[in-house]
Amino acid sequence: MAPTRIRSGTAVAAVCTGLLLATSACGGAGGSGSDTIVIGYSGPLSGGAAAYGQNIQDGLQLAIDDLNERGVTVDGEEYQVELASLDDQYAPNTAATNAQRLAEQDDAAVIYVPHAGGIQAAQELNSNRTEFLLGAYSSDPKIVEQGNELTMMIPPSFKSYVAPFVDKLTQDGESRLGLLGTASEYGQEWTKLVTDEWRGRGGQVLSDNSIDYGTVSDFAGPVSRTLAENPDVIFLGGPSQPTAVIIEEARRQGYDGSFLLMDQAKFEEMEEFTDPENLNDAIGVKPVRAYDDPGTDDILDLYAEKVTEEQPLTSEVTLNYQSVAIVVEAMQQAGSIDDATAIRDAIPDAIGEVDDHFHVSGFPTEITDAGHLRNADLEVAYRTPEGEYEHLPIEQPDE
Amino acid sequence: MTLFIQQLFDGLALGGVYCLAAIGLTLVFGVLRIPNLAHGTLYMLGAYVTYFFLVTVGVPYVAAIGLAAVVLAVIGVLLERLVFHPLRNAPHTHHMIAAVGAMFFFQAVAQALWGADFRRMESPISGNVTILGAQVSWQRIVIVVTAVLVLGLLTWFIKRSIHGQTIEAIEQDRTGSSLVGISPSRVSMLTFGLAAALATVAAGLVAPINLLSPTMGDALSLKVFAIIILGGLGSLPGAIVGGFTLALAEVMTSTYVSAAAGEGIAFVVIVIVLAIRPTGLFAKAVQR
Repeated sequence: MAPTRIRSGTAVAAVCTGLLLATSACGGAGGSGSDTIVIGYSGPLSGGAAAYGQNIQDGLQLAIDDLNERGVTVDGEEYQVELASLDDQYAPNTAATNAQRLAEQDDAAVIYVPHAGGIQAAQELNSNRTEFLLGAYSSDPKIVEQGNELTMMIPPSFKSYVAPFVDKLTQDGESRLGLLGTASEYGQEWTKLVTDEWRGRGGQVLSDNSIDYGTVSDFAGPVSRTLAENPDVIFLGGPSQPTAVIIEEARRQGYDGSFLLMDQAKFEEMEEFTDPENLNDAIGVKPVRAYDDPGTDDILDLYAEKVTEEQPLTSEVTLNYQSVAIVVEAMQQAGSIDDATAIRDAIPDAIGEVDDHFHVSGFPTEITDAGHLRNADLEVAYRTPEGEYEHLPIEQPDE
Repeated sequence: MTLFIQQLFDGLALGGVYCLAAIGLTLVFGVLRIPNLAHGTLYMLGAYVTYFFLVTVGVPYVAAIGLAAVVLAVIGVLLERLVFHPLRNAPHTHHMIAAVGAMFFFQAVAQALWGADFRRMESPISGNVTILGAQVSWQRIVIVVTAVLVLGLLTWFIKRSIHGQTIEAIEQDRTGSSLVGISPSRVSMLTFGLAAALATVAAGLVAPINLLSPTMGDALSLKVFAIIILGGLGSLPGAIVGGFTLALAEVMTSTYVSAAAGEGIAFVVIVIVLAIRPTGLFAKAVQR
C-alpha cells in the first residue's frame, strides 16, 4: 500500500497557494488577508534534499495547526496562521528570491530557511531591502556571526558538540581518528572543527575519506580505505539514512571502534535503517523521544497521526515546531504581526510565555543577543557498547 | 594486499552495475542516435518498482527484479512511442530537451508515489565470504555473477536471435535494414524496452547495498555517459569494457590517490579519450 501522509496534502496546499497568488483575486487562503498571519518558508521541496525540506515543513505546519486550534489573538484581533511554502531546491539564490517574494507578496514577517547558503543569501536581503525576521534552521555557527539583527537561529550550533564528543570518545586513550564525513560545505566545516580539536589533544588524524553521500553508489570502497588505517574512532555523518548504511558497512567489514556522528544524522532514524546494534559505541544528538518535556508525548502521537507512522519524529521537525510557537507568541507580545524588529525584540519575553504544549524537545530558555535560541540544559546521547543510551550535558560556547 | 583484493571486488561489482546501465544507453544511441538523458531516471524507477514488488507486494527478490524489468520495459516502450517517436524527424536538440523533460517528470512521479525520503531495500542475500583475507559480501558476488550472465544472454540475443539481429542491423544501416523489411519503429521500441529492463536489473542489484531516492539516477547518468564515450558510442563491447574500466579506475584512484580524485576520474578519462581517440576505444558509431 502506498504510504499516505499529509505531505502530499501540504504539497497540494503549496501548489494551491501558488495558484491563488497567481490569480490574486481570491481572498482568504494563501494570500495576505487582514485576518491572517503568513509564515513564509523557502526550502528544498524537490531534488536530493527534498526529504529534509519536508521535515522542516511538517514541523512548521504542525505548529501552525496547533496554534490555530488554540486561537491566536494579536492586539485584540483574532488571526489565522498560514504557511506559505516555496521550493528552492537547496539553492541559495532561489532561497533569496523566494524570501523576497514571501516578504513582499505574502507580507510574511517571519520567513524560515533551512540551509546555511540560503540563510546567508536571505540575510543580505533582510538587512537591506525588505524587513523580515529570518527563522534560520542550520547549526552552522557562521549564521549568527554575521551580526544580522533579524536572524533567529533555531538549532544548537554544531560548534558546541565537537569538544564534548571528542572528550567522551577519547576516554580510553583512543588516538586515531578516521574521517568519513559527507563532502558538503557543512560536512567540511564539521570535519575541520573535529580535526582541529583532535589534533589539539595530540591525537592522530588519518586521511580524509569524505565522500558525497548523495552520489556514491557503493560505500564499501571508502569504508575499506578508512578501515585500512586502523582508526579507533570514525567521524562520519550526513543524512541519517546513508550514514546508517555506511556504519553497517563498517561493522560488516569488522570495525569495532566508536563512531562520532555529525549532528545531521539522528539515532532514531538510523535505527530504522540498520540493525540498531551496529550503532553501539556512538555519540550523537539526543533522540526526540528521550526528552521528557511537557509536550513530548503529544507531539510524538500527533506526528504519527498527522504526518507519518513510517518514520520517527526527529528534532528537524520539533525544533521548528517550537520556534513557530515562539514567534507567534512574540507577535502577541509585540502587538504586531508585521513589524519584524518589534517581533524580534519581543522574543526574550515570549519564550517564557509559550504554552507548555509547545515544549517538546529542549525548549529554548533564552535567545542570545546574536539571535540564537538556546536551551541551557542541552544534552547529547551516547549509545554504549551494550546498546543503552546515556545522556550527557554539554556546555555551549559564548556567542 | 587485503585492501587491494577488497577494492578489486568492490570495483568489479560496481563495474557490473555500470555495464548493465551503460549497455542500454549505448543500444539506444546506436539505434536512435540520441543521447537518452533520462536513462538515469529509468534506472531510478527500476529500483523503486523492484522495491514495490519486493517490499509492498512481497514477491521474492529475483522475481521482484524480473517483474520490475517487465514493467520498466513497458515504460521504456511508452517513452519511445510518446516522446521520441513523434520527434524522429526533429532536430537533435529537441530529443535532448524532451529527454530532460522526461527526466524531471519521472523524478516528480517517484517523489509523489514514494516520497522524497530515502528507502532501504533489504536483500535476502546476506553475509560475507572471505577471499584472500578480504571480506566480500555475497550481494556483491551476486552482482558480478548476474551481470556476467545477463551480458552473456544479451550478446546471444543480439548476435543469434532474429529480433536481436534486427537491432544490430538498424545500428549498421537504417535505410538498408528498412529495405530488407526490418521495421525501424519496432526496433526502436524493442531497444528502449530492453534498455529500461537492463537498467532495472542494475538498479535491483545495487539497491540493497545503497539507498533508494528519487535522485539516485543523477550521478549514475553522468557516469554511464562517460562509459559509452570511453567505449565508443553505440558499441556493445565498448560499454562492457568501459564499464569495468571506469569502475576499477574509480575505486583504485580513490583508494590510492584520494576520494575526491576517484569521483573525478571518470571525467579525466573522458577528456583524455576525446583528445586522443575521439571515437572511443571501440569506434563504431558513424554519424549519419
